[in-house]
Amino acid sequence: MTISAERPTQVDDHSPVSPVAVKEPRGFGSGWRGQHLGTAIIAGFLGYVFGHWLGNYIASSYSYIANSGQNSVADFLALAFMVVGWYVGIGALNYPLAKMFGREPAHEVEYTGFGKYFRYNLDHKVVGLQYVVGVLLFLFTGGLLAMAIRTELLNPTTHFFNAGTYIEIVSEHGTIMMMMATSIVVGPLGNYFVPLMIGARRMAFPRIEAFSFWTFLIGYAVIFSALPFGGFPTGWTGYAPLQTQAGPGMISYLFGFAVIGVGMMTAGFNLAITVVNYRAPGMTWSRVPVFVWGILSTAALLTLATPVLFSAGLFGVLDKTAQTAFYVTEHGGSSFLWENLFWFFGHPEVYIMALPGFGIVGEIIPVFTRKPLFAYRIAAAGMIGVALLSFFVWQHHLFQSGIDPDMRPLFMLTTELISIPTGFIFLVGMGTLYRAKIRFEVPMLFCMAVYFNFLIGGVTGVFLSDVPVNVTVHGGFFVLSHFHYTIMGGLVFAFFAGLYFWLPKMTGKVMNKKLGLWHFWTMFVFFNMTFFPMFFIGLLGQPRRVFTYAKNLQSWNDFSSISAYLLGLSFLIFVANLMWSQFISPVKSPANPWDSLGLEWQTATPIPRHNFDRIPVIMTDPYHYSEEGAPALADFSGGAKTNMSSETVPGNDPT
Amino acid sequence: MPEELIKESQNVSETPEEREFELRAHIGSVWSGGRLFIAMYTFLDASLIFSYFYLRSSNNGLLWRPNHVTAPTSYGWAIYSLVLLATLMAFYGRTRLRKGGVLDWQMACWIGVFAGLIALLLQIWEFTAVPFAPGSSGYSSTFIGFACENIMTLVLVTYWIETALARSYRIRKEIGGDQPLMSMHPSAQSFRANVSAMTYFLGFTALASTLLFAMFYLL
Repeated sequence: MTISAERPTQVDDHSPVSPVAVKEPRGFGSGWRGQHLGTAIIAGFLGYVFGHWLGNYIASSYSYIANSGQNSVADFLALAFMVVGWYVGIGALNYPLAKMFGREPAHEVEYTGFGKYFRYNLDHKVVGLQYVVGVLLFLFTGGLLAMAIRTELLNPTTHFFNAGTYIEIVSEHGTIMMMMATSIVVGPLGNYFVPLMIGARRMAFPRIEAFSFWTFLIGYAVIFSALPFGGFPTGWTGYAPLQTQAGPGMISYLFGFAVIGVGMMTAGFNLAITVVNYRAPGMTWSRVPVFVWGILSTAALLTLATPVLFSAGLFGVLDKTAQTAFYVTEHGGSSFLWENLFWFFGHPEVYIMALPGFGIVGEIIPVFTRKPLFAYRIAAAGMIGVALLSFFVWQHHLFQSGIDPDMRPLFMLTTELISIPTGFIFLVGMGTLYRAKIRFEVPMLFCMAVYFNFLIGGVTGVFLSDVPVNVTVHGGFFVLSHFHYTIMGGLVFAFFAGLYFWLPKMTGKVMNKKLGLWHFWTMFVFFNMTFFPMFFIGLLGQPRRVFTYAKNLQSWNDFSSISAYLLGLSFLIFVANLMWSQFISPVKSPANPWDSLGLEWQTATPIPRHNFDRIPVIMTDPYHYSEEGAPALADFSGGAKTNMSSETVPGNDPT
Repeated sequence: MPEELIKESQNVSETPEEREFELRAHIGSVWSGGRLFIAMYTFLDASLIFSYFYLRSSNNGLLWRPNHVTAPTSYGWAIYSLVLLATLMAFYGRTRLRKGGVLDWQMACWIGVFAGLIALLLQIWEFTAVPFAPGSSGYSSTFIGFACENIMTLVLVTYWIETALARSYRIRKEIGGDQPLMSMHPSAQSFRANVSAMTYFLGFTALASTLLFAMFYLL
């Protein structure tokens, strides 16, 4: 972690040191004989086998295991050693082990070919693209499971799955999607663009960044491993006592959450420290791009709320393996303890998912309205306010259980309070759109959809925070529709806005506009057709996680299911667009296709390994669109010399 | 200078100002990273403390702590004392390091490493000596949770001290001269920032251990 710091500085002249080309290394440890995804999979598999054997060796004679037909210790150790094997195979442990002997690792060199995407790479841009593939893997897996759910709900009496299989599918869908959603922006776009937007040449802790991605990926495998074990019947919330009664698939859920929690903590930690310390000279807090504010506030939540999830998962695993009774009421534990710990993380998590989306939208709309971001400071304050308040609302998830009724008004109030900073952020967007000449490019359309969807999701959220409404619609499709509007309607739409906006910078190729428009309109229309009817379905009394329902709700459900298939189709249009634009018929992107003032667009494409030839000196914030005589964004010639001025500063084109 | 670092520094064009900026940013990252890590760990410990008091106040089935069973106090005292020793050594070592007493710091760290290792072994061994089944009560469950998290903490702390120690030997060879660890060489500055962060974290660990020791062994 000390690469730059350990460079000698005894240089007296002020001339830059010229770069020297570095060849890819030869010999053992390089190329395909080195450590990469393949070796990680092999080592993970071997770890799994070893862990299972060890668990059987240790615990098969324990009385509670010998007679149960299920060795939870072996199940857990198999997964734990699988994760360790994965880390060994990918090379994540090379540096920590070498450090113990005071050595620097020799293998971490810059790979230049396509193979770098399959390795433990320390370049934040590579990690960002790795994350893009990773989150799409999550998204499409979860999406397929969603299709299975909607297929089952086509008919209340004719079943494709039995009740047990259905709840396993629902649980896996929810968990995969929630874990995906925590990283969908922070992982790909946060890691890729935060250093570029703050004028940094690197992340603060590149190894921790790479570690977070490979942890995220193995977390996916752990959670998905529940299916062969018979899944888990608890939904994504994992409530006890169902959790305690569940089979071995529950261990995958609990341990998987803990593993992904580690990935989330490390990702947030690295991003927060990078923003605090690596902002280019002149980038004061009032000049930080609003997307970076979104990521910073999210990173704060990730680092502080996720340790509680880690603990909750650890306690659950101990209940399963060591026979403790954290969540077993009959033995002195409490099922409500899980609910408290889970939601102490779980509600900030909602904002972990929302804030980066707000950041993306706030970053993009000035570009397409050619107006400065309205009330920039209010947007930043709103994000901080949401992040702070999110720690004080978790008990509203317990309105129906595990809470003193006298405490309900307090948490109703805190929950309603959070709509104030959220409203600030929303109004910042409206203020920017007001009287603007909007360019309706694909990213902008997705941004507009975010406002439309989030308005519905947000308003129903305010309803749900009220105890009487909450008690009435709790556990039904109304709630389900509400959170799909906020998470999918807000975050996933924002993710696509960001992807369409920034992919030309990431890959140097433009996305096909016609296919992009098809993608947007089908996704927007069918998303609303899928989820809006669910408000009515919920108000008419259909509960979540149940594979049958009243006969009179079938036409609503069929409408929703058919819309869901078409919604799924819209994602295939995106995949087709991605394949077509990036691989089959690539078209080179202009240097700055949207005429953005953002710092990330002012460096070369493809982006150099160290982002900027010279560390820029920031002169102003990046939102001075259409302002005559606006100051130049940055000085790119000074190389961190803060007392320099420049006559020719690229970047501001006040059209 | 290790091969990797030479390659890294050769691969980028840098002015002296940029190097200085990068160094400041790096030192700042170590400093703020150490503090943020303490904040993360606070939430981790807080979840355990919350669980303890939640189950204690719930006392479901009057099974919070039947017969006031307690984990072996001798182990508790021993582990707690060793954590305190490692912390005191870290603070003493840092004070000596500031005055140029590198050897004293290294000796303090060696003591810290051994204290951490012994505490770790005792914490693991304590599992064999607890007078209750893990799921027999709320107290026993939270104690097992505490022991597992404490093992994690002890591994982390010992690893941190050991790697700082190993790094000090490497830097001495790398930089050379009279007082390499006290020089203005970037490696030495980075090293001192790391020692500072480590010492603060140990201080936090000692405080948290005091609270947890009181909860599980004294209350």
